[in-house]
Amino acid sequence: MLDRSIAEHRLTREPPVLAERRRQGLAMYEDAVMPTAADEHWKYVDLDFTMETQSLPAQMGVKMAPPTGVSRVSASVVDGFVAIEQELPDGVEIVRFDEIAERDPEFFSSVVAGRSDDIFLAGNAAFAGDGLFVHVPRNTAVAGPIVIDIQSVSAGTISFPHIAISLGENSEASVVLIFRSSEEELVVAPVVESTLGNAARLSMTSVQTWGRKTKGIGYQRVRLGRDSAMKMGEVGLGGALGRLDLSVDLDGDGSSYILNGLSFGDGEQVLDYRMVLNHRGRNTSSNVLLKGAVEDEAESIFTGLLRIEENATNTSAFESNRNLVLSAGAKAQSVPNLEILCDDVVCGHGSTVGPLEEEHLYYLASRGIGRERAERVLVKGFFDEVIDKLPSQAVAAPVRDEVERKFVAAQVAGRLG
Amino acid sequence: MTPALDVTDLHASVGDIEILKGLSLQVPFGEIHAIMGPNGSGKSTLCHVLAGKEAYTVSGSARLDGQDLLGEPTDVRARMGLMQGFQYPVEIRGVKLVDFLKEAADEAGIDPDEAARRIAESGDQFDMTRFLTRSVNQDLSGGEKKRSEIFQMAVLRPKVVILDEIDSGLDIDAVREVAEAVEAMRSPEVGIVLITHYSRILRYLSADRIHVMMDGRIIESGGPELAAQLEAGGYEAFRAQLT
Ligand SMILES: Nc1ncnc2c1ncn2[C@@H]1O[C@H](COP(=O)(O)OP(=O)(O)OP(=O)(O)O)[C@@H](O)[C@H]1O
Ligand SMILES: [Mg+2]
Repeated sequence: MLDRSIAEHRLTREPPVLAERRRQGLAMYEDAVMPTAADEHWKYVDLDFTMETQSLPAQMGVKMAPPTGVSRVSASVVDGFVAIEQELPDGVEIVRFDEIAERDPEFFSSVVAGRSDDIFLAGNAAFAGDGLFVHVPRNTAVAGPIVIDIQSVSAGTISFPHIAISLGENSEASVVLIFRSSEEELVVAPVVESTLGNAARLSMTSVQTWGRKTKGIGYQRVRLGRDSAMKMGEVGLGGALGRLDLSVDLDGDGSSYILNGLSFGDGEQVLDYRMVLNHRGRNTSSNVLLKGAVEDEAESIFTGLLRIEENATNTSAFESNRNLVLSAGAKAQSVPNLEILCDDVVCGHGSTVGPLEEEHLYYLASRGIGRERAERVLVKGFFDEVIDKLPSQAVAAPVRDEVERKFVAAQVAGRLG
Repeated sequence: MTPALDVTDLHASVGDIEILKGLSLQVPFGEIHAIMGPNGSGKSTLCHVLAGKEAYTVSGSARLDGQDLLGEPTDVRARMGLMQGFQYPVEIRGVKLVDFLKEAADEAGIDPDEAARRIAESGDQFDMTRFLTRSVNQDLSGGEKKRSEIFQMAVLRPKVVILDEIDSGLDIDAVREVAEAVEAMRSPEVGIVLITHYSRILRYLSADRIHVMMDGRIIESGGPELAAQLEAGGYEAFRAQLT
């Protein structure tokens, strides 16, 4: 049961904009219901828990060991509570929500949206412990990556991390988000919002390696100003449920968004991607490539909507979803969609679902490469195409290793085919 | 001396369609043999049957350096020393040519340093170095793909090489380049079979023997003069002459 009084107590001590946000979240939360698979937006997903069975973390749980692959963590969010390091890369300011909401309420409101259209977003607004606010002032290039380590550790909880990233005009930054959790049963519903000012450039790499009893329901929202550019790398490997609801608004003329992502599901994992890209400005471009593999009884879902608004002339938008289904019991659903309200566009979408190609295996065999190794080489190649494009190459090696480990485990256990 | 490749009375069918109808062929080490045949005569089928592609019912015998090939799967045949260069090499996104070759070399038991040395050397020789870090066959021109096939063999050093229409779809300069590459592969340790539809590639290399293939069989074998005859009259006239 989520204890209302915790939220009510928190808002008495918060700056007015934040308290108001929490109040609205609470009201929305009271009216919200758990989504079911009958909801189009939640089709194929079975949320086998209720809010009544979860509790709110009272404080930050015991932190996990530092993550591998990345250099220095700039901030951690543990069970939704924020800890900011002393030393940060030059050029970035990282504070808690209450600090920025106190100091500059208008700025805060312009970056942190009041979106609470489902129970998890409403819950996030109502019950979030702290929020983490990352700000890069205009004309500033941040030296080095901003690494944010988002952990969920306490059993039986639902936590609500919230991260807002704001890049001022003509600024530049690289962010690495690491989502991890303990092996306890828990739920986490993180929200990440990125707002890019005119001509800002953001590279973001998100790596999700949640524990196998974690149900993760993540939201990302991106708003792009004029001539701004975002490059996103998205990796989903862990969780009983790993969901990402991504919405990108290409508001500014000339803005661009590129996403390269991968997922690998095994056991009974459900990896669920919902994407909406709204092309609103003129001369905008987007390119999404998401590759997934499923084996054993895992399931992956992709729904991707490219929406080109009426005045979005000279839009270029492409999305591609490629799935390897490696075991007979595994499933991949792929539903790319276009909604084009403007004539002057170049758009494309494609999806594939299937096993490794026999023609490829034959080619490798004709060079003396045996079946097992050939499968490994092809799966590695399948993912390398996206791993090589992750904006942060620091995380590439551990991601590559984990993908290989998962595949070899399936192969050794004889689950392929 | 044991020939590199010794095929006797080879039959192959798909379902109840017989495609190879008793084909015999001997290729000694150190020689280049050309098989010429019209569309649909079974040239690619011969490659696939020798390489062990599934889908065919096969009888007869095929020996590589005295060892029986037909019972083995494709990868084992390749490691025994038989490799085919494809008429249409597939593109494999994400798998870099250099990694692909290292895996193949490792599987064949070639020492990694030796493999690296061969890759560097042959990469230079066949002008493939700039393609090493690209995906296998991806975004290569027709001629580059065919050169890549030969380059791979130069690294892996099979005993028998079967090149399926290595010249098709290439402009004349590319044909010459590929022919030179084939000639460069000639050695006492390898027997080369070059399958082609047209005689033009034979102008740029010296084939030791020409075999004419029609309707699933070798109907005539001889010296380079056969190519000239085919060139002049075409396949049907050639067949008419024989009977
Ligand atoms: N899998 C198959 N199933 C049915 N028929 C086949 C199959 N493969 C080949 N054939 C038929 O066998 C014959 C020989 O085909 P093959 O591809 O070997 O000829 P080819 O000499 O290589 O021709 P080309 O010069 O066009 O490359 C053709 O008539 C073809 O249609
Ligand atoms: Mg052919």
